[in-house]
Amino acid sequence: MLALAGAGLVAALATGRPELALIALPFLVFAGAGVVLAEEPAVSATVEPGRVRLLEGDNLGTTVRVRNDGRVPVEVEVALVRAKHLAVSPAGTVALRVDARSEAEIAFSVRPGRWGAHGLGPLTVRARDALGLTTWEGRLGERIDLRVFPREERLRELVAPLRTQPFLGSHVARARADGIEFADIRPFQAGDRARQVNWRASARRGSLQVNQRHPEHSSDVVLLIDTFEEARDQASGTLDAAVRAAAMLARAHLGRRDRVGVVDFGGTLHWLEPAFGTTQLYRIVDALLSSDIAFSYAWRKVDSLPQKVLPPGALTLAITPLLDERSIALVSELRTRGFDLTVIEISPLDHISRGPTAADAVAYELWRLEREALRARLRALGIGVAVWESGGSLGPTLEEVNAFRRSARAVLRA
Amino acid sequence: MLVIGDAGAASQLAWLGAGTAALLVTAGMVAQSPAPVHAAVAVLGVLFLLRHDARLLLAPAYGAGLLVMDDLAIRTMELSGVGQIATGAIMARITATLAVAALGACVSAVAALAVTAAVPRTLAVTAVGVLAVVAAFVGLVILARRRFGSSLG
Repeated sequence: MLALAGAGLVAALATGRPELALIALPFLVFAGAGVVLAEEPAVSATVEPGRVRLLEGDNLGTTVRVRNDGRVPVEVEVALVRAKHLAVSPAGTVALRVDARSEAEIAFSVRPGRWGAHGLGPLTVRARDALGLTTWEGRLGERIDLRVFPREERLRELVAPLRTQPFLGSHVARARADGIEFADIRPFQAGDRARQVNWRASARRGSLQVNQRHPEHSSDVVLLIDTFEEARDQASGTLDAAVRAAAMLARAHLGRRDRVGVVDFGGTLHWLEPAFGTTQLYRIVDALLSSDIAFSYAWRKVDSLPQKVLPPGALTLAITPLLDERSIALVSELRTRGFDLTVIEISPLDHISRGPTAADAVAYELWRLEREALRARLRALGIGVAVWESGGSLGPTLEEVNAFRRSARAVLRA
Repeated sequence: MLVIGDAGAASQLAWLGAGTAALLVTAGMVAQSPAPVHAAVAVLGVLFLLRHDARLLLAPAYGAGLLVMDDLAIRTMELSGVGQIATGAIMARITATLAVAALGACVSAVAALAVTAAVPRTLAVTAVGVLAVVAAFVGLVILARRRFGSSLG
C-alpha cells in the first residue's frame, strides 16, 4: 500500500501530472491510518475441551475463547493444532473479529478416529489490525492431551480357563469344595457339616450322603498383544482391532474378578503384571493406548519375559494377526511349555487386497491357504485359534474358541 | 508522458488496460500473491491519464475506488483459505476501509483544489514537492519503526 502510494507520488513528480498524486493520496492516507491505528495486539486464547477422556468416534465439543485486551478491535484467524487422528469441524482456519477489551468464542467439534493419546492445541493465531495492514502470528493456549479409549462391546461369554486360582471369583472350578454349583454326592465323613447332607439321596441309599460342590474361583489371564507387525490400510489396521479386543477382554475378565495382566510383545517389550480391580483396568487401558508397532530385527523368546508376568496356570490369550514368524514361534513355544494358550487371530485379510493381475490372485490364494495350514498346525498343538474379522463381534469368536477347547480337552491337559 | 490524441485509440487502450488489470487480479488470486493486484491497481491508475475531461476533479474518487478495490482483493485472498468466517468479520473491515477511503478522497480533493490554484511549475516548487513526499515517507517509516520495530508487514 505504501509502495503504491510512493510510486504514484514519484510518478506524479516525474511526469508533472498531478492526477497521479491525487490518485495516490488515498493510498497514503490508508497507510498512515494503518500505522497510526495499529498496535501490538494483546490477544490471549484458551482451548477448553468438554472432557479429556472419550471413546473413539465420540464427538467432543471444544470451546476456543479468544480475548482481546487491547484498545482497538482485531481481526483474528484461529486454527487448532491437532493430532493426525483427530477430525476437527470447522476444519481449517476460523476468522473472527474481537472488539476491544472483549472476548469471543468459537465452538469446535473434535472427533477422534482412533484410540490413543492425541494432542489438541495449542492454537495458531494470526491477528490483524482493523485495516489489515499489520499482521502478528503466534501460538496461543496450551496443548491438551486427550485419552481416547477404544469402543468396546460387552462380552457375554469368555474363554473358560483350564486352571483357576484359589481366590474367590466367577469361574466354576473343577475342584470340589464349598461353593454354589452342585458337583456330586458322596458318603458322609466325620467333619462334614449337617447342612451338606442330601437327605433325599440319604433316604434312597440308606446311608448319609453329602453334597459336593464346585467352588467359584478366579483365574489369572494374560493378554499377549503382538506388536511385531500389522496389516494396515488407510482407515485402520490390525493393531487397532487388537487393542480393542484386549480392552474388551481386560474389562470382562476384571469384571469377573480375574487377575489380568498385559504383555505388549513386539519390537519393544512392555508388560503389566496380573492384578485385580478397577485400578488395574485403568492401568491396562492406559498401557494399551501407547501400544504401537516398533520395527525390530530382534528375535524374542519366552525367556525374554519375566516369570511373574506369566504365572503358572494362567490363561494366556494371544491377540495377533499371525503375520510375523517371531509371534508364531512364541505361541508355539508357550504351548510347548504347557501354558494354557488361546490365539485370537485378528484377520489381516480385510486390510490386504488382492492385486489386479491373475498372478496376484494366485499369490493371494496361496497366502490364504498358508494361513489355513498355520492355523491347523497350531490347533494340532492344542492351541485354540479363532479368527476375528474386524467390524464383527468378538463374542462368536470366543464361543468358537470354547467349542474347540471343549472338544480338545484331553490334548489341552497334556 | 502518456498522450493519446485519437479518442478511438484511447478507448481501445482503456479496454486493453482494463483487461490487463483483470488478468493481473485473477493471477494474484490464483497465485495468492498481492503483487499482481497492486500491479493491476497501478495499471488502472495510469489508465486514468487517458481521460480528457475533468481529470483533476475525478481523481480523488478514482483513487479512493482503486483503494477499495485493492483492499477487497487482498482481503478476498486472505480469507480464501479460511474454513469459517464469523458474522461481522467482513463487514467491519469493509466499513473501516470505506471510511479511510472516504477520508483519503477528501484529502485528495483538498489537494486537487490546491493544484487548481495554478502555481507555475518551477524548480523550487518541484523541490518542495519532492521534499514533501520524502518527508511523508520518512515520517511514516519512523512512526512504523517506533511502533513495531522492523516487523511491519
